[in-house]
Amino acid sequence: MDYVVLMQQITNGLVNGMTYVLIATGLTLVFGVLHIINFAHGEFYMLGAFFTFFAAQLLGLDYISAAIVATIGVAVLGILANRLFFWPLRREHEFTVLLSSLGLALLLTNGGELIFGADPKYIPSPFADEVVEIGQVVMTQQRALIFAVGAVVLVLLYLFIRHTSMGRMMRATAQNPEGAALTGVNIRNVYTVTFILACGLAALAGALVGPTSMIFPTVGSWAVLKGFIVVILGGLGSIPGALIGGLALGVVESLAGGYISLGFAQAIGYAIIIVVLLWRPQGLFGHARRV
Amino acid sequence: MPRTLLPFALIAAAIALPVVTGNTYYHHLLVLWMLFSLLALSLNIIVGYIGELSFGHAAFFGIGAYVAAIMGMDLGVPGVLGLVLAGLIAGLFGFVIGYVSLRIVGPQFAILTLGFGSIIHTITNYWVDLTRGPMGISNIPRLAFGDVYVFTSAREYYYLALAFVIAFAYACHALMASRTGRAFIATRENAPLAASLGVDVFRMKLLGFVVATAVAGVGGAVYAHYMTVITPDVMSLHYMAALIIMVIVGGRGTIAGPIIGALIYVGLLELLRAVGPLRLVIFAALLTLSVIFLPGGIVSLWRRVFGDPETTAAAPGEGVGR
Repeated sequence: MDYVVLMQQITNGLVNGMTYVLIATGLTLVFGVLHIINFAHGEFYMLGAFFTFFAAQLLGLDYISAAIVATIGVAVLGILANRLFFWPLRREHEFTVLLSSLGLALLLTNGGELIFGADPKYIPSPFADEVVEIGQVVMTQQRALIFAVGAVVLVLLYLFIRHTSMGRMMRATAQNPEGAALTGVNIRNVYTVTFILACGLAALAGALVGPTSMIFPTVGSWAVLKGFIVVILGGLGSIPGALIGGLALGVVESLAGGYISLGFAQAIGYAIIIVVLLWRPQGLFGHARRV
Repeated sequence: MPRTLLPFALIAAAIALPVVTGNTYYHHLLVLWMLFSLLALSLNIIVGYIGELSFGHAAFFGIGAYVAAIMGMDLGVPGVLGLVLAGLIAGLFGFVIGYVSLRIVGPQFAILTLGFGSIIHTITNYWVDLTRGPMGISNIPRLAFGDVYVFTSAREYYYLALAFVIAFAYACHALMASRTGRAFIATRENAPLAASLGVDVFRMKLLGFVVATAVAGVGGAVYAHYMTVITPDVMSLHYMAALIIMVIVGGRGTIAGPIIGALIYVGLLELLRAVGPLRLVIFAALLTLSVIFLPGGIVSLWRRVFGDPETTAAAPGEGVGR
């Protein structure tokens, strides 16, 4: 029955990987289009989970409505974060922006601890206890939902970037912000839309993953670390890189956790990074500036 | 007072500080201030002189602390040799990590060092046989010179750490006045131009990185002997952010800046103990405000008020922040 165990591990890995993909896509989008490394990205994931929890608790919404409300709410917060922390600094050195986002991350984590309390919370979901069976492989409906929603959202994002005029403006800004501005692209709108998408994606990941584990205010640093591993692996700014990097990381971690040791699985992501970077310093799909 | 005498006056004041009060609690805060000053000064080499952001610096502090603790307890290595070994081993890690990550510059480097810092944190947490995992190592022996002298009180550790800070601050000062120091500045301001002038940019950066990590390792070893307890927490994200806050808020690329930054951190942390979790929000706000409105840090205020053409010429806040 080793084969079944192997398939189960791979399936688990793909589901975890899809979470990483959702987190990393927003991170890579903000970097690819605006050349900003957003340290606070994981905090939007955390907020997505907490907003879902409170929408369900305080507004009495069912899980799916709560998740949608949370995603929209955090996307709106993304507009605010952009206006206060990123848009005013757009002409500054990249370190200034990076440090400003670190400040935002610390503000949100510690502010979250202040407002939400440090004790772990649990998001109730009707899908958390039901299972789906595919052949002999078993997973909860919640995890199937993570994978399905992730796949659909990525396809929609791809279509948006490829085929809408805003998507074209984003791509133009990514290639050359000044040139794009000269040809009439409203850079300010591009910033806003990019942050809405990125924060929304992070929040959606939080809302989806929330019911599979406990949530607490420092969960964002875990998320941003995984996101960073994936984007470094796939190449900063590359969405296909985020997809392949995320799924690969999920599967490798799951296999390492199953066959070697759980503790080691945590470190394996970094080990992969080292190997990949020694071979391709710009990541699998990225372009890097070298010394 | 002539400007050249100022450092000596400050050193004299620092030596007199613990005598002013007999309160061990204040002595404890002074030790923390000096240890954080040493760490912030070493991180400043990377942030202020090389011009790269490292998010993994606390890991080297942790490596030093663990090396000193494990060497001292399991292998019976004498304390002073342990300090040297802690510096060497942290520097060796710094060499390997710097060699891999310094090939990339800019924000990617920052992320990479964050990743490396986390891998070391993770390993410390899970390699229970060596590090006792999340429980940490306790009952670490005090630092001793054979049977001759044992450092026990907070005041003694303060003077020890102060000596390290003075020595390292002087080394930084001498470095910046030297040819190598000018090569550092050239690398920071314009790497391609520096390379065209014959500066081996990668080697310069690696050299700075290794020195900074080795010093952080020594700081960690002193910390381990002083606290007698260490846990993997010393390398957590919290400390990585705290070190960056000290350097940026104090003023990167200067010698006084990181020391002032460490004082602000330790001081505010104590003053704000009453407000609980809110204090970390205040720190975050301080960092953000400093980044946006005072990119040269607190020391740049001094320059704005009194004017100091000599240091302004080498002021990196404006250079890096451009």
